[in-house]
Amino acid sequence: MAGSPLLPAEDAPDRRDLAFLRFLARRLVAMVLTLFGASVLVFTVLNILPGSPAQVILGTQATPASVRELTIKLGLNQPLPLQYLHWIAGLLSLHLGNSYISGQPIAPELEAALAVTGPLVALGLLFGLAIAVPTGILSALRHRRASGAWLAAATQVGIAIPNFVLGILLIIVVAVDWRLLPASGFIPWSQSVGGALRSLVLPAISLGLVEGAILSRYVRTAILGVMRADYLRTARAKGLPAGRALVRHGVRNASVPVLTVLGLELSGLIIGAVVIEAVFTLPGVGSLLLSSVANRDLITVQDIVMLVATVVVVANLVVDLLYRIVDPRLEVGG
Amino acid sequence: MGFERAGWRFVRAGALLVAGALVLAACSSSPSPKTQPLKTLTIGSSNVFPPTLDLTANASQAIDEVIDYNVLQHLVELAPNGKIVPVLATSWTSSPSYGAPSSYTFTIRKGVKFSNGDPLTPADVVFSLKRVFAPGSTYPYTKIFDASSVTQVGSDQVKVTLQSPSWEWLYNLAAYSNGVILDPSAISSMATDPVGTGPFKVTGETTNYSVTLARNNLYWGYKPNVAGVVFRYFTNPNDLNSALQSGQINMIDNLSTPQDLGLFKSNPAYRVIAGLTNGKVQMTLNNAYGPLQNKLVRQAILYATDKKAIIQAASGGYGLAAGSDTVPADPFYVNLSNAYPYNPTKAKQLLTEAGYPNGFSLALTLPPYFYAQLAAPLIVSELGAVGIKVTVSTIDFPLWISQVFEGGAYQATIIDHAEGRDIGNYGTTGYYWHYAKTSQVAQELTAANAAPTEAQWISGYQKVLRQITADAVNDWIYIIPDLTVAQKDIVGLSSTAYTESFNLTYVGIGGTVPASARALGYTS
Repeated sequence: MAGSPLLPAEDAPDRRDLAFLRFLARRLVAMVLTLFGASVLVFTVLNILPGSPAQVILGTQATPASVRELTIKLGLNQPLPLQYLHWIAGLLSLHLGNSYISGQPIAPELEAALAVTGPLVALGLLFGLAIAVPTGILSALRHRRASGAWLAAATQVGIAIPNFVLGILLIIVVAVDWRLLPASGFIPWSQSVGGALRSLVLPAISLGLVEGAILSRYVRTAILGVMRADYLRTARAKGLPAGRALVRHGVRNASVPVLTVLGLELSGLIIGAVVIEAVFTLPGVGSLLLSSVANRDLITVQDIVMLVATVVVVANLVVDLLYRIVDPRLEVGG
Repeated sequence: MGFERAGWRFVRAGALLVAGALVLAACSSSPSPKTQPLKTLTIGSSNVFPPTLDLTANASQAIDEVIDYNVLQHLVELAPNGKIVPVLATSWTSSPSYGAPSSYTFTIRKGVKFSNGDPLTPADVVFSLKRVFAPGSTYPYTKIFDASSVTQVGSDQVKVTLQSPSWEWLYNLAAYSNGVILDPSAISSMATDPVGTGPFKVTGETTNYSVTLARNNLYWGYKPNVAGVVFRYFTNPNDLNSALQSGQINMIDNLSTPQDLGLFKSNPAYRVIAGLTNGKVQMTLNNAYGPLQNKLVRQAILYATDKKAIIQAASGGYGLAAGSDTVPADPFYVNLSNAYPYNPTKAKQLLTEAGYPNGFSLALTLPPYFYAQLAAPLIVSELGAVGIKVTVSTIDFPLWISQVFEGGAYQATIIDHAEGRDIGNYGTTGYYWHYAKTSQVAQELTAANAAPTEAQWISGYQKVLRQITADAVNDWIYIIPDLTVAQKDIVGLSSTAYTESFNLTYVGIGGTVPASARALGYTS
């Protein structure tokens, strides 16, 4: 980073480290408080939800006595605060507990689901970036030309299409008509890595295209902003070709607002994955969440929601840290 | 302008990246399947993914579909044609010789092994049947709980004594999954690997995705002509249809949206099997709610319902009009579907007579199932035509159970009563439709079950059926069909769906089905 035109007057390194540590500590405390709040909220809301797990397990033929017996066996007759403490204590010692419905440990099920959703979200994000960055830059560069307007219009269309509609269209065209890729389903990684990737291509495109289109708008705005900056004109004036000037001096400056949006988009991608998994019948976290809600497997739902909350909170922390790497001018305190 | 040329370079780079990923993914085709004489059958299921594979611990029908009959077997089972056939029992006798049976003695089949190699013994049978009514039992159906003792007799027989004489007990043992025979040494693995004596054994499952069965090589009976069966689960009917059209699955267990039948019906590559079920789709009327307490009002609702139109809309024209709580497979079946022929004028007359010349408002609370969602708009307009203003709301199934079924906080709902021979519900105190003559019906049913001859039992039940129809307890609409769509070469499927098991005993990809099986109602 030394020599970068963005760097302010050098501070004493140890003072900056200390400030950074203080910043990090504050963010971590905020993170823990957020997660605590989320856990109370999730637990309360789910336990208000009508429909008891014991009744769902035993079905319409159950006698009241057997429902009562099973409720006690599941520990659902205990006072709610006690149930909450049990659950949280388990989470803190990394025990996710056993499913109410199957009686099986939740951790391996969640792990298997993450092996689908993790790569799906990552591929979706990659795909979104692969669309957003080039189209955003190009439509900024050509913003006074017809081709720029067309690109901008195309991204508007991309934003307007719901991801599940795109998914269904892709299934009909690519899978059913052309038979290029599977219409739905998932081949486990352990069985065939290629097969697993093939199963994820269409879902990742459906997921990434919309997010990419949204992101593209931000990239365009950010690039337009830096194109008007004095330093870029200076760079051009001293003889740098346009592309090199933009790469060396423009992109990094433009990436700060884009990073902010990217952090927010990640949660959008995770929520989108719930829908997309349903469309493509992928055995991921979203499917697990939906089926657990339908089965009133409350503890599994609680675990999943907390996992998602943790991912989002951590992602935001990472974005905050990235700001500081991208733009060291952002001083401690914010 | 220079910036523009630079911009195109970014686009090219991005496009290359995406295209590269696509090509890579598309080219890395899965390894070609090894040549083997037997193929694996993949069934696309419209059911939910089984929450556990232990059918003695959870009421979900999705478990029975996969495990019952196919993995775990009964002493006797229900063949597709509705006959009770010997399975793990080779024969049985009942006593007394005259009058309703009060005990059964089963002779246990010899040489049967569980899929883990354990031999089947009469002690296993005693263990399994006693487990049904042991304290803390989570067996889902109330059926066959009414045995009072199960004992081994001699070296190869088991005697079951009933709490009270019953003409129905043997049917219940055959048709309901409570009758499964388990390996006592494999109980702990029931949730993931139930060990049974059936033609298949469980080899794996992926949560919310699939359950895999392999042929059980230790099976004592006819070996199905497949290497194994994969049940794959779809939450969306469009995906299920696409999967069959694109060849990812070989068949669909039950098309939940019959309006999609057109996709397959006229295509020679597929066969459609429309099998009857025990499922009675009805608009349940809360007999304890305001206007619905009046029999004339309930009768008016039945006259105002056009069953044919609803069958057309909700079931693609398949299915049979219903008029009471019975299906053609019942020995006591009586067709009462014309007791209240569609007649809006008559309905209006009855409403006026009942003191509602301007109708009234009715809240219809629906479960999220297709048949209910598809039938509701017609119900709304048909009842609207006679002045009953229906408002519709949909709730999820656990909520339906707690609010409508348990809580009784509803006015009307549309639901499929899927259980076979469930007429006993009309004699169950506090049952959610709150029929005024519940205790009278209970007495009549008990008396009929104790009747000395089968004919008297049947006529006793028919009397109850006529009674509930005359009282218009509920608006029975139609008997729901099971619409199986399969590739042409799939053989040995059940021609009916009278049990919750998706019976795969004689299934095959190509090949022939034994004549004895065809006689029992398996397709050729």
